[in-house]
Amino acid sequence: MSELRTSAGTAQMTDDNFRLLRDFIYEHSGIYFSDTKKAQLENRLMLRLRANNLTDYDKYYYMLKYDPQASKEMRSLFDSVTTNETSFFRSPPQIQAFQEKALPELMNNRENIGEKTLRLWSAGCSTGDEPYTMAIIVKELLQERLSEWDVKIFASDISEKALRSARSATYNEYTLRSVPPEIKKKYFVPDGSQYKINDEIRMLVELQYLNFNDSKRVRLMRGFDAIFCRNVLIYFDDTAKKRFVSQLYDNLNPGGYLFIGHSESLHNISRAFKLVHFPGALGYKKE
Amino acid sequence: MDISVFDTIKNIDDLPTLPSVAMEVIGLSRSAEVSINKVSECIYKDPPLATKVLRVANSAFYRRGATEVDTLHRAILMMGLNEIINITTSVSVLSILPPKGSEGETLRKAFWDHCIATGLIARHIDKKLGMRSMGREFVGGLLHDIGKIILDEYFHKEYMEAHAFSIDVDCPMYEAELEVLGTTHMEIGHFLAQKWDLPGYIADITLYHHQPGEAQYKDITALISISDLLAKAKEFSCGGDRLSFVLTDQPAWHMLKQMGYPVHMIDIERFTFEIEDIGKEVNNYISTFSEPGAEGFVHE
Ligand SMILES: C[S@@+](CC[C@H](N)C(=O)[O-])C[C@H]1O[C@@H](n2cnc3c(N)ncnc32)[C@H](O)[C@@H]1O
Ligand SMILES: [Fe+2]
Ligand SMILES: [Fe+2]
Repeated sequence: MSELRTSAGTAQMTDDNFRLLRDFIYEHSGIYFSDTKKAQLENRLMLRLRANNLTDYDKYYYMLKYDPQASKEMRSLFDSVTTNETSFFRSPPQIQAFQEKALPELMNNRENIGEKTLRLWSAGCSTGDEPYTMAIIVKELLQERLSEWDVKIFASDISEKALRSARSATYNEYTLRSVPPEIKKKYFVPDGSQYKINDEIRMLVELQYLNFNDSKRVRLMRGFDAIFCRNVLIYFDDTAKKRFVSQLYDNLNPGGYLFIGHSESLHNISRAFKLVHFPGALGYKKE
Repeated sequence: MDISVFDTIKNIDDLPTLPSVAMEVIGLSRSAEVSINKVSECIYKDPPLATKVLRVANSAFYRRGATEVDTLHRAILMMGLNEIINITTSVSVLSILPPKGSEGETLRKAFWDHCIATGLIARHIDKKLGMRSMGREFVGGLLHDIGKIILDEYFHKEYMEAHAFSIDVDCPMYEAELEVLGTTHMEIGHFLAQKWDLPGYIADITLYHHQPGEAQYKDITALISISDLLAKAKEFSCGGDRLSFVLTDQPAWHMLKQMGYPVHMIDIERFTFEIEDIGKEVNNYISTFSEPGAEGFVHE
């Protein structure tokens, strides 16, 4: 029953509302709210209702489905239903494995065929902490030789809000908590109480809006040496995971690596990759 | 070096020896007339050893029931002869080559941590695959790199060089050992296993855990070989070896598969995550063996 809770001035989400909205979100993004997550979804959508001056979830659903402005609202919806939690040098052993094992191997392979290009992708980059971390690592590894290389780090997300923040490239102390002091000194410029990524690193990263559900566009992402898709698949259900992971496989060059979140698993999702044990972290290799 | 490291070690007079009772117990385990009474009587001949075995049997790690086990006889009934013999072996080895080395303590502790982790991981895999190694997997893991401890004890400086070499060149420890010391921890470990008259499977493990295909005791050596890698993957790397590997491409993996063990049933990713908790288990295990009052294990 959809009723207005006058005291709080907020609408209540019925089970029926929940299922309709949940399915709508899933269909358009792959993000899946299981039955146990009703309260969470309600919490997140309350603000959307308020922003649109709507009194109940029926009206919100109707708006998403039939309003000519729906595509605009959808971007805001994605901002609300995504979790953008991230930090620089997140899961240090994994970052270390990338820096010490995977990246040198990939660069060697490239150099051997006389092609000094490197294409990396942070898929689900949130506020940019991950792609900038990758850029810093490439720079650390190549140092002055960076200029001899053609390096591009694509970074994409479904959340406009997160992307805006990534573009500003400005961070607070907390998200930099795992950054080694000397790295902080080298690549960050203090900006008030914040820190801004320096231009050399920023230039390596190309930010773009991309919804993983948009298979046509995802298919265009080709020729990657490594893809980070960490802590993203956890929001999908198995069907969406399978579809997306098989696309990521196609997006990689032979010999390329996929890194997913620490303690995420592709066990029931894909058998295409070779599971590699790096010291302290797992990687998935396309052979 | 003029005289080879291996020869030098062979000729060291005060090379650690296993307590005589431990050797006797291990001997008993091979004899046809092994019995509960024989084993418990034998261990009681060395009261401090008996006390320690009982304490370990009562530790969180081994304890099976609610009530404390206060006699060896009962411990054997509860845990089986094999497990008690294994505990006796582990206790004895750890007491003569304690985690504290004469020099370079940090690495020595890391070596043992790696060995204990290997034993614990082997125990988990043994269970998952239904191999029924009866605790041999734990002793095997515990002792597989015993050669490293000996090399570290008698050639500490050179061993640290080998360790640094392996990090610099990114090669396995045994290659670095060969380069710097002209021998390997496998060779030394095997020598010790024979000198101590340890069971054949342990001798096999010490020598072949990096080439399980050569072993006679193929199951258990393959098991330890895999466990060793996984222990390293989780940073119980005992220094040096920081190599990547593909588990399903390992000879040991294929061996186990060929022998009919259901390796394909293992969710390797999940298992790798579970191993993270082994860090805690390792510390528990070490503390079980080194509680105060358990020290001062005097033999002769
Ligand atoms: C928890 S963050 C992870 C950020 C970073 N990869 C990390 O591990 O620190 C998950 C990100 O995935 C994005 N995401 C979720 N579903 C998506 C989709 N269908 N298409 C693109 N990005 C999506 C979210 O917007 C969010 O920024
Ligand atoms: Fe070894
Ligand atoms: Fe080892």
